[in-house]
Amino acid sequence: MGPSGSGKTTLLNCISTIDTVTTGRIVINKKDITNLKIKALEEFRSKELGFIFQDFNLLDTLTAYENIALALTIQNMAIKEIDKRIQQVAKKLEINEMLNKYPFQLSGGQKQRVASARAIVTEPSLILADEPTGALDSKSSRLLLDSFEKLNREFNSTILMVTHDSFTASYANRILFIKDGRIFNELIRGNDTRKEFFNKIMEVVTLLGGDVDNVL
Amino acid sequence: MFSKIAVNNVKRSFRDYSIYFLTLTLAVCIFYSFNSIESQNAILELNKNPIFHDSLNKLITGTSIFVSFVLGGLIIYANNFLIKKRKKELGIYMTLGMPKRKISKILLFETFLIGLVSLIVGILLGILVSQGLSLLVANILGVNLNHYQFIISLSAVIKSVVYFGIIYGLVMIFNQYTISKYKLIDMLHASKKNEEVKLKNAFISVLVFTLSVILLVTAYVRVLETGLDAANTELFITVIMGVFGTLFFFFSTSSFFIHVVKKNKKVYLKGINIFILRQINNKINTNFLSMTLICLMLFLTITLLFTAFDLKGTIDRSLEGNKEFDASAFLVVDNESEDPRENDIEEYLKDINFTFENNEKYAFYSEYKLSLTIEDLLSDYLSEQEQVDLVKDYLGGPMSAIKLSDYNSILEITGNESIQLSDDEVLVLSSYDNITDALPEFMENEDSIQIEDKEYTIKNDVAIEKNIKANLDSDFFYLVIPDNFDGDLELESTNFNVIYDERYFDESEERFSTLFNDMWDNKYRDVSPALVIGNTLNQIKDRQNGMAAMVVFIGLFLGLIFIISSAAVMALQQLSDASESLGRYKALKRIGVTERMINKAILKQSFIYFFAPLSLAIVHSIVGIIALNDIFSFHYESIIVSTLFLGIIYGVYFYSTYVGVKNVVKNGNS
Ligand SMILES: Nc1ncnc2c1ncn2[C@@H]1O[C@H](COP(=O)(O)OP(=O)(O)OP(=O)(O)O)[C@@H](O)[C@H]1O
Ligand SMILES: [Mg+2]
Repeated sequence: MGPSGSGKTTLLNCISTIDTVTTGRIVINKKDITNLKIKALEEFRSKELGFIFQDFNLLDTLTAYENIALALTIQNMAIKEIDKRIQQVAKKLEINEMLNKYPFQLSGGQKQRVASARAIVTEPSLILADEPTGALDSKSSRLLLDSFEKLNREFNSTILMVTHDSFTASYANRILFIKDGRIFNELIRGNDTRKEFFNKIMEVVTLLGGDVDNVL
Repeated sequence: MFSKIAVNNVKRSFRDYSIYFLTLTLAVCIFYSFNSIESQNAILELNKNPIFHDSLNKLITGTSIFVSFVLGGLIIYANNFLIKKRKKELGIYMTLGMPKRKISKILLFETFLIGLVSLIVGILLGILVSQGLSLLVANILGVNLNHYQFIISLSAVIKSVVYFGIIYGLVMIFNQYTISKYKLIDMLHASKKNEEVKLKNAFISVLVFTLSVILLVTAYVRVLETGLDAANTELFITVIMGVFGTLFFFFSTSSFFIHVVKKNKKVYLKGINIFILRQINNKINTNFLSMTLICLMLFLTITLLFTAFDLKGTIDRSLEGNKEFDASAFLVVDNESEDPRENDIEEYLKDINFTFENNEKYAFYSEYKLSLTIEDLLSDYLSEQEQVDLVKDYLGGPMSAIKLSDYNSILEITGNESIQLSDDEVLVLSSYDNITDALPEFMENEDSIQIEDKEYTIKNDVAIEKNIKANLDSDFFYLVIPDNFDGDLELESTNFNVIYDERYFDESEERFSTLFNDMWDNKYRDVSPALVIGNTLNQIKDRQNGMAAMVVFIGLFLGLIFIISSAAVMALQQLSDASESLGRYKALKRIGVTERMINKAILKQSFIYFFAPLSLAIVHSIVGIIALNDIFSFHYESIIVSTLFLGIIYGVYFYSTYVGVKNVVKNGNS
């Protein structure tokens, strides 16, 4: 979390290798990704990372199924495996009913769940999500966050999520606050209930000054 | 200041303009080249023949006008694409407080600039190309260019400037109108409206596709069975079937294709094929009308180019068997008249004071018609349809005959032995062996001919293929009859043949061509009322070559313009589609699709988009050409030449489109 312009998107871009760092190193799965060759970078991106975007980033010409499949086909995955995996994730995210629909036939929340399915179908070690609930109402947000929790538990996926919303943040296990490009504070949920965690988050947010409007 | 903006705009958006510029330049270049034909050396040689000269000029002018309509439409269409693409940029000028009037001015100046540059480059290029065309012309006309000259046709330059000036003027007016109608809000939000895919239902797409295939196959079968007889209303129905078949084909093919490919998971689930398929489906489905038009236009072009080159080949070959006499003339006998001066060509020549030189070998003869017709003669060997065809093609009718003594005098000047016939013998002279099997069968099985009540033995076993005059029409059928033949004879024409002396060839040719031209211009009508028509062999050749040349020119001219038009329309559609699909490419990149894969996808899309209409057009053309084969007989050079032209232009457009789209996608993303 952090105020606008603090560098959250920049951090995600650096991790996802879209941007390059000027100093320091980024280590994921014991691998230093800051000095990988182009080929290795491409492979790292498509195998180890999953992306979820605020604007869903779904292709309007493709059905939900095809959108999810695309993440696998660009890795040249075996054909039999593709369908199996899609059905599996679809069931988890409860979108198997709408696999043959086009994005324009889906609600925002459904779209984001399809996008999430696409992000995790490759079984990445890290999922990067930049304000995934930004375009959703609170009910859809909650549904999405529930499925994130499920992903985290059942698939063991690490989810790195940017958000302005304290409620969304309260679903996390660990929160990093960023200000002016630096880590400013850190909260770990531990054994807190979500309610307790939420209150702690609120305190920091107030301290940071701003973004309070987003809470309610 | 505005001119500076305009110049910079043109420079900066050269990427957007490149297809536009390419089209304009090629159009000007081709336009110039073909209009410069009149001042080509080779044509100048032929211009001695006034009939040829006039008709060539008329034909080129007519075609030019038609072509400028096509090009005008194309240029306005292309320009419209550009304006649409720049709506937003123009909108920003407006928000910055620039009045519409000034924006119009910028656009005006831009159009002017592009027009000017393309005109200059096009004409320069045209001057180069026309030199090559000049060689082609010389080759077609069989003219030896012993003094090659670099030609710049001023009249063609002026014509190009005037025609294209008018077109550009129209484009300017059109732009002003468009701008004046735009509202600022629309310009800033010139958003990509998602083109609705019209056909999604799998069942219907299969149904429509099946229907289109049935229509096309039926049309093919019909045209192959009935041939291309324009007088036949059946052909009209076939054409309609073909057009609708093509239309349905493009309406359904991509949806149908998707359903098929979906079944083949190996292709469907490979790389970003899913995306490519959907893109193409989207494009072909929304542009099915223009795809149909382009396919039909390409079909026309291929057939046109092919036929044009082939007609030339056909003519070349037909000239081969006709070289024995250097000149022939005939007087059309008026059987109402008893006056020998009106019916005897020898008397006629005396009347107009024309005498043969000593070095010229000549023979007079008379041609008669018998009461027997060719159909009757061959009736046992012709099917009913063949009999009808024979009459239709002017190959039937009463049989021609010449008397033995006349024939012998012809044989004498060609240096052959004279021939003896007894009173009940005849000779058969004919080229019909090449046309119908009936004649050789007849010659083999029959050894006599019954004329009226009398039986005549045929002296020869196979028809003698020796025409008795220099003639445009290479098909002939004559009987040589005894001098004292006593059946029904009607005098048809009186004739003479001439063979020049090699040493005085040019003088004789000059004398006879002048004589025949004068006769054609009715110069002797007040001396003698007789109608006499003559040709020297060279005149015949020139006329045939001239006709071949005209057909090839016009075929090439129209063909090239058609190719440019269709390729340009497709290129523009691709480019505008690319900017509309930018969001999708961006989305692909964000989920980790590499640039290499994206470029490959662009290549595949452009390829399929360009070659879908071409492939169907080629299938159409193959059928069309086979049907035409009844009229012309084809040879392989025509295939090579037509593919070359088509391939080069189409290829250039395909490549520039690929590069253009790649650039749009690459730069739209940064
Ligand atoms: N560590 C850093 N060092 C230098 N510049 C940085 C750093 N982090 C971010 N910036 C710069 O700060 C600007 C804003 O960063 P960024 O877009 O990441 O903000 P953000 O937190 O995502 O804001 P928002 O909440 O509005 O999306 C960018 O121009 C970026 O280059
Ligand atoms: Mg951001």
